[in-house]
Amino acid sequence: MMKFANVIGVSFMAVLLVLLPLLLPAVGLNISLGTTVILFALAASSVNVLLGFTGLMAFGNAAFFGVGAYGSALFIADVNANLILGLIVGTVCSTLAAAIIAPFLIRRRGIYFSLLTIAFGQVFYFIAYRWSNVTGGEDGFSISKPPIFGGSSPTLNGSSYYYFCLAIFAVLLFVLWRIMRSPFGLTLQGIAQNEARVRYLGINSDRFIFVALLLSGFVAGLGGALYSVSIAFSYPLLMDWHQSGDFVMMVILGGVGTIWGPVIGAAIYAIAQNVLSSFTPAWQIIIGGMFIFFVLVFPKGLLGLGAARRRREEEASQDPDVAVVPAGLIEGRQP
Amino acid sequence: MIEHLAPEIVNGIVLGAFYAIIAIGLSLIMNLTGTINLAHGSFMTLAGYLAFTLMSRGSNFWFALAASAICTAIIGLVVERLLISPLYKRVPLYSLLLTFGLSLVFEEVFRLIWGPSTVPFSAPPELSGATQIGDVFLPTYRLFIMVALVVVMVALLVFLYRTRLGLRLRGAVQDAEMLAALGTNTQLLYMTNFGLGILLAAIAGVLAAGLLGLGPTMGNDLLMPAFITVVIGGMGSLAGSIVGGLLVGLAISITTLYLPAASEVIMYVLMAVVLLIRPRGLFGEEGIFG
Repeated sequence: MMKFANVIGVSFMAVLLVLLPLLLPAVGLNISLGTTVILFALAASSVNVLLGFTGLMAFGNAAFFGVGAYGSALFIADVNANLILGLIVGTVCSTLAAAIIAPFLIRRRGIYFSLLTIAFGQVFYFIAYRWSNVTGGEDGFSISKPPIFGGSSPTLNGSSYYYFCLAIFAVLLFVLWRIMRSPFGLTLQGIAQNEARVRYLGINSDRFIFVALLLSGFVAGLGGALYSVSIAFSYPLLMDWHQSGDFVMMVILGGVGTIWGPVIGAAIYAIAQNVLSSFTPAWQIIIGGMFIFFVLVFPKGLLGLGAARRRREEEASQDPDVAVVPAGLIEGRQP
Repeated sequence: MIEHLAPEIVNGIVLGAFYAIIAIGLSLIMNLTGTINLAHGSFMTLAGYLAFTLMSRGSNFWFALAASAICTAIIGLVVERLLISPLYKRVPLYSLLLTFGLSLVFEEVFRLIWGPSTVPFSAPPELSGATQIGDVFLPTYRLFIMVALVVVMVALLVFLYRTRLGLRLRGAVQDAEMLAALGTNTQLLYMTNFGLGILLAAIAGVLAAGLLGLGPTMGNDLLMPAFITVVIGGMGSLAGSIVGGLLVGLAISITTLYLPAASEVIMYVLMAVVLLIRPRGLFGEEGIFG
């Protein structure tokens, strides 16, 4: 049984997202911004699987996002202009990419894990950047929007593509929510809270982290595949570590370890970027400043504000500065 | 063949020395405070631009090198005190994200002040030209960089292993709490350590500006190979950073000669191979850093 407050929150978000194509033009923004919010939310959710639930400081998820984007865009441009097949190919590619680098990552924790995700994430960027006769190199390449089932089936544009993405997003968010309440998801959260104890129970935590990485790669790749179709374009900076950092920041802006946090964070980020970049070319200063401000002042993100206040009322003695993310993240400093 | 290969090997060693010095700075900061400093590259670029500005106002190269390195290190100290030190008691993710935000701000500020394209930054006249060694002509500036970076590294090792402060820094990496209990001001140590890392980055930044060209992303372009150097050499090992840097530099420069398109990917291949054989990196110690 869901709590009443949660029901209200979920209904509010659902209504907001469904009405977004009507609301955005009313304030002078393009509907494609709504699509971007949803797809960034997918990418941020993929970070959240590792960061929020498993307690792993993943800093390379743009690689999965970008592999998904390139996979679908290349398939649509060169093989078959079919949206559904393109999405499947892109997602399979990103899951495979996760499977390839996961064996290098699963035995590391703490900042070592971050370092490896930053480094391994960047390899895909350089492949896209350098393999220019296939990927178009630094400039990337554009595609034309594919018919949904190929051939003469209809092509999704504007708000119909938004609702297509929203449907996929809603299903995935529900699936993620279910997974995090399944024995598998609870084990991941156990790893975040106290990995040693999980291992004493006879559970091979490395294997669970492997699957979490695949899940993360799958979700990020699907987001990326939908994104390159949405902007009809694919370019290497999608996979750069700056993009990874943006995705992690979305999770922090919204609230780490919550299902809706990444969605809210993605909305803040995408809208801020869109609005600011129309005012000033130096928008990156404001975005970077916003990151710094949130890290210093609101480390639990917007959703964490309410949760933090509730918890403070419950146990007044809690130190708000300590261990924001589960204790498992700190592991690795003990010699 | 050898006349093509020899300059590339020198290139590789110069590049490798850069990666090593950047990686050492990153390692110092990472080992003591768990902060992965994503703004490290920005500090390098900052030092380059400061030196450029000084030189365009008529200063000579040597003064510009010293002044900009010291100024950058001081800016680093201020950043550490104001922004990073409040995060030491939190999980390392937050300092990683803070330095990420910082690098975004820095990069845009560079664009605003010095423009989006590269600025002309030339080596001083006494270091231009080439020196003949055997049958091979080598640019004097590259030889100078090699010598300079070796001097910096030796100075650093002497500092870390032959002074009281260096002893305390190494002690703090092992057990900062115990050191504090014995009466050392660890906050001061954290600050010194961060400043030291930034000083190394700043020196490398000015030297690199004369070699690679100075643009807003110069430092960030060098940052990724430096991260890989840390992984290959093993976290927490200075010797590892030096060996790792040289390996990465040589791999890149030799691949540039034979298969230019793979010149970046090769370092990832190298990293993967090293991690398969030695999961902790070449000189990494078992048990530290998860």
